[in-house]
Amino acid sequence: MLDTLRQLTRVCGMAVAALWAYRLRSAFVVAAIALGIASLTVIVASIDGAERKARQIVEMFGPDTAFVLGGDIESRAVGQRTLTLSYEDARRIRAELPGVYLVVPMRARSNVTVYFGDRRMDLPIAVGSTAGYAEVWNWPLAEGRDFSEEDVERGAKVALIGDTPARELFGDASPLGFTILVDKLPVQIIGRLAYRGVAGMGPPVDDRIILPITTLTQRFNLDRKYFRALRVKFTDPENMEFHVENLRSLLRRLHNLAPGDKDDFTILTAEEILKFLSMFKGGLLLYLGITATVAMVVGGFVLANLFYLSNSERRTEIGLKKALGAKNRAILQQFLAEAVGLTLIGALFGMALGMGMGKLLERLEILQILFSWKVFIYSVAAAVAIGLLFGLKPARQAAALPPVEALKGV
Amino acid sequence: MSGAEALIRLERMTKTYLQGELTVEVLKGIDLQIAAGEFVALQGPSGSGKSTLMHLLGLLDRPSAGRYWLQGEDVAGLDDDRLSELRNRLIGFLFQTFYLVPYLTALENVVLPGLYSPGSARHLRHRAEELLVQVGLGDRLHFKPTQLSGGQQQRVALARALVNDPQVLLADEPTGQLDSATSAEIMELIAGIHRQGRTVVLVTHDAPTAACAERSIFLQDGRVVHA
Repeated sequence: MLDTLRQLTRVCGMAVAALWAYRLRSAFVVAAIALGIASLTVIVASIDGAERKARQIVEMFGPDTAFVLGGDIESRAVGQRTLTLSYEDARRIRAELPGVYLVVPMRARSNVTVYFGDRRMDLPIAVGSTAGYAEVWNWPLAEGRDFSEEDVERGAKVALIGDTPARELFGDASPLGFTILVDKLPVQIIGRLAYRGVAGMGPPVDDRIILPITTLTQRFNLDRKYFRALRVKFTDPENMEFHVENLRSLLRRLHNLAPGDKDDFTILTAEEILKFLSMFKGGLLLYLGITATVAMVVGGFVLANLFYLSNSERRTEIGLKKALGAKNRAILQQFLAEAVGLTLIGALFGMALGMGMGKLLERLEILQILFSWKVFIYSVAAAVAIGLLFGLKPARQAAALPPVEALKGV
Repeated sequence: MSGAEALIRLERMTKTYLQGELTVEVLKGIDLQIAAGEFVALQGPSGSGKSTLMHLLGLLDRPSAGRYWLQGEDVAGLDDDRLSELRNRLIGFLFQTFYLVPYLTALENVVLPGLYSPGSARHLRHRAEELLVQVGLGDRLHFKPTQLSGGQQQRVALARALVNDPQVLLADEPTGQLDSATSAEIMELIAGIHRQGRTVVLVTHDAPTAACAERSIFLQDGRVVHA
């Protein structure tokens, strides 16, 4: 046992000496493997990132919530009407659908500018809300109060401000009680939302201002009868499928759809969003997976090729070592150790490269990346597998050389 | 003389090669015995089969037919691993072209056979240094082969051949690539090894070199002509 261990250590020592002696060749293999491992690193990290994002979305969305969009998202491209959800729908759902405890119509205006004194900031969205925005969206207030029923009824000129615009306009001071301009409308800030910071695809969620839905529709000339989306919360999240079917049939009845007609609305649940994200993940996995596989297979062939070359160039060394008493196993082990050693070094460089690439993608907001031990373990495992897989045949060939043949080779 | 008394004993050993359709019989039935402690020269013109015989004696190749006892053990039918062990323990090699690993230092080359045997690393290194001092290269321990002359390289090879303290030294034209002065130095070292009590088998086609040996075995056309 101890002898075997000592033998392995010695063989590894020889492998290191040989790798260093043939360092230019070694560098080629390292580079090829590094590219493959870099892609693998990005894949695993971005899939983990997507999963974390999915979980955050579900958390934010709430498992007890269905989200109804006007229009069928599958037929949006053919120009179907998207303003199909009316206040009447909202009222009827609240009144008639069992198990519902909250129905919140949603309206929003995109691209507004907020001003305070000489400071200004462009925001991607001004959200219209009914009473209790913070409660409905599980989004705690850092300070101040939420909208009341009264604010909404009379279309009060009040606002909740997101964390980013609050910092932009007020720095570290409290924005409460101050009046800012949203485009041309003066509103008083009554609350500040806590920092949420779920980044990734789309604009940052903290870049927003929230007005009572009535204020938004009246002051910004939005359609008063219809709204884009509806948030419906149910008391028991276990029966979501059942509730969603009820909601669907109610809306179909309210919209007078005949049995063969397509829905003119779309119901999304946390479940659906997870489904979408897993599709997205699947696409990512496929695309990056192919890239990584190709890179690693190329790396493997470069490795195998160089080792075959090595075999003919190092025939004498192999023959000599056998003449001096190396068993076939020792030669096999040395060549495998060289192959695996190279792919491992490649893996380290690849991980560094992958993390660099990942950070860049994250900076460019293309992907969210999550590095973990998993990345490390996968990369090392993949590297060892490639080393063994592509190194085995040349190593076997080397080990099988009869010593006298190998020595005659020069 | 029985098989147990001779260190090396061959009986009707043959070696044939296939060259395309043709079978070439290089050794046509060799009978010979070498006692422990002998210094034997294996002589003959090129093509006489002396190198092939040398490879068979050194367990680098297998005979096509015949028997071979080494130290009383029938080695003709042993597997690769066992042959490696025997080579490692019993036999030291010297080659015409030295065969040093180019990327290893003199010391690392000398240590090499020891790495395939169970001894401790410290002892091994100590012995390797000692041997290099004995062959006059105490100041060249960390030189690469390319930084050494031919004579110096063969001295390194000699130290390597002795590192596992073998019974037999097999030298295949060890001075074939050296000038006469250097050759004489190497032959003197080989004679010294014999004086230490080791068996030496020297392959050469050069009569003055063979004269260092106690006995000559002449090969011609795959047969021993006189021993």
